[in-house]
Amino acid sequence: MTSGGPFDFSTRELVISLGPQHPATHGVLRLILELDGETVLKCTPHVGFLHRGTEKLIENRTYLSALPLTDRLDYISSMINNQGYCLAVERLFGLEPPERARYIRTMVAEMTRISSHLLWLATHALDIGAMTVFFFAFRERERILDLFEMLSGARLTTSYARIGGVKNDVTQEFLDILYAFTEEFPEKILTYETLIDRNRVWLKRTKGIGVISAEEAINWGLTGPVLRGSGVPYDVRKYDPYDAYDRMSFEVPVGSVGDVYDRYRCRMQEMRQSNGIIVQCIENLPGGAILAPDMPKYILPPKEDVLMTLESMIHHFVLITKGPISAPVGEIYSSVEAPKGELGFYIISDGTGRPYRMRVRAPSFVHASVLPRLCKGGLIADVIANIGTIDIVLGECDR
Amino acid sequence: MIKCRELVRSIFFLDILKGMLLTLKSFFSRPVTRQYPETKRSVQAGYRGLHALTKHPATAEARCVGCGLCAAVCPSQCIHIHTTEGSGNTKIVERYDIEILRCVYCGLCVEACPYAAIALTEHYEYSEFSREALFMTKERLLNNYDAYMGREKDEQYFLSYWHPRRSDFGLPKDQPKFRRRS
Repeated sequence: MTSGGPFDFSTRELVISLGPQHPATHGVLRLILELDGETVLKCTPHVGFLHRGTEKLIENRTYLSALPLTDRLDYISSMINNQGYCLAVERLFGLEPPERARYIRTMVAEMTRISSHLLWLATHALDIGAMTVFFFAFRERERILDLFEMLSGARLTTSYARIGGVKNDVTQEFLDILYAFTEEFPEKILTYETLIDRNRVWLKRTKGIGVISAEEAINWGLTGPVLRGSGVPYDVRKYDPYDAYDRMSFEVPVGSVGDVYDRYRCRMQEMRQSNGIIVQCIENLPGGAILAPDMPKYILPPKEDVLMTLESMIHHFVLITKGPISAPVGEIYSSVEAPKGELGFYIISDGTGRPYRMRVRAPSFVHASVLPRLCKGGLIADVIANIGTIDIVLGECDR
Repeated sequence: MIKCRELVRSIFFLDILKGMLLTLKSFFSRPVTRQYPETKRSVQAGYRGLHALTKHPATAEARCVGCGLCAAVCPSQCIHIHTTEGSGNTKIVERYDIEILRCVYCGLCVEACPYAAIALTEHYEYSEFSREALFMTKERLLNNYDAYMGREKDEQYFLSYWHPRRSDFGLPKDQPKFRRRS
């Protein structure tokens, strides 16, 4: 097209950089958008602004000391990160956590899922323009964080699960408050749905946006609610049950079209299912130990024994300074269903007390790669909806 | 029929009005927010806050023997211990420094200590204007214990957050379990 002349209305391509310091990118994600008017021609995500080298750092830590680093991957669902890491190490060592610890872990994992989905709902709705949901969702999230604080001593970076069990037992007060919360929570979900479920602005902004078919979603390696929104009922909790999930009855909600609205519906239903799992966990909570007994080479000995018996003292000192030096040689991949998708830990052990190599299969990283596919051909306003709907956390994406 | 209902809904903005009504309702309910500096939030028991070195209740001396396990387990490597030999083959903890700004508050140092010598108090407001002010020496850590732990919280309170206990591996007598509200 020739340029110039008084009646030339041809547009030219415009390249803009969205982020990394942009509130709607949910962290430090940078998108290079090539625009023709308001239409996105190409979208290129740039990641790595929050790279801290977690995987490399873990190579120099013992299995126990590496645990707090996993908190900082997906920092809004740290309980599940701890659980996933501990599960991988337990499977490597051949440890069996006791029944009570499994139930407690399942319970806190589902609390995390609710809190993570609430944060997603709040920010996603805020990005699209529904600000009121933000306040309602954060009100309930605050209650869950208070419960985490009661349980572990920290609100976000909990470091609660331990290799072979959990750090400390739940208190009666915790169970009572949590049960009261689960009784009220279904009504609260209805509140959020009243605000946006039928709202015409919400429907216009979400229906038919960012559509991805089931086959394509599998090919892109998507997991979690993003995959289930396209109608694939894949859930690690069902396909490879860990901890106490094989004893829980719950459904895996799926969508049909695979657009932003379907993924939103999926996550809302998931919160209801999670609530049900918490209730089952509390009602059937078995008694007993919370750390695997008779595993002194892998689990810290009880504090009463450390200065009393020689063996315990040796185990304690060796475990802390050198790590479990009798760890088996081998490699393991183990995954859990994090709120974002399938979170996997791949550990290679060379028989020393430290992992030789650990790789984290972060769902956010995989999901960030699908952004160009979702955004291409859409409007620039829908880029924000697409970033929200894949629910990425850059701490986990960049590691 | 469904079409008709949809039409009424869209003409009279029922979807929007429902949401507005909910917002209006919460306008008359009690706010859940706090005005932070004026009303302080009380932390839950066992919160992991500012560090302190505990003292023997009888002798008021530091329990720490300088074994270095806390420094070994620390994921951010922010604990530095320097020991010397005193008279009669005793080990003296000359320096015990914690770089507060590097700490991640995981609480593993408490778990690693065989003597319950280090504790995380429930104090969480300690912003300062300089880095030096947040470099904790042994004296300052002992003072923290007096200021935030020793007075109001007794030793038993602190020991209950020192894990794992023997009861964690076995079957304790009265474990919390589900109870229906009466």
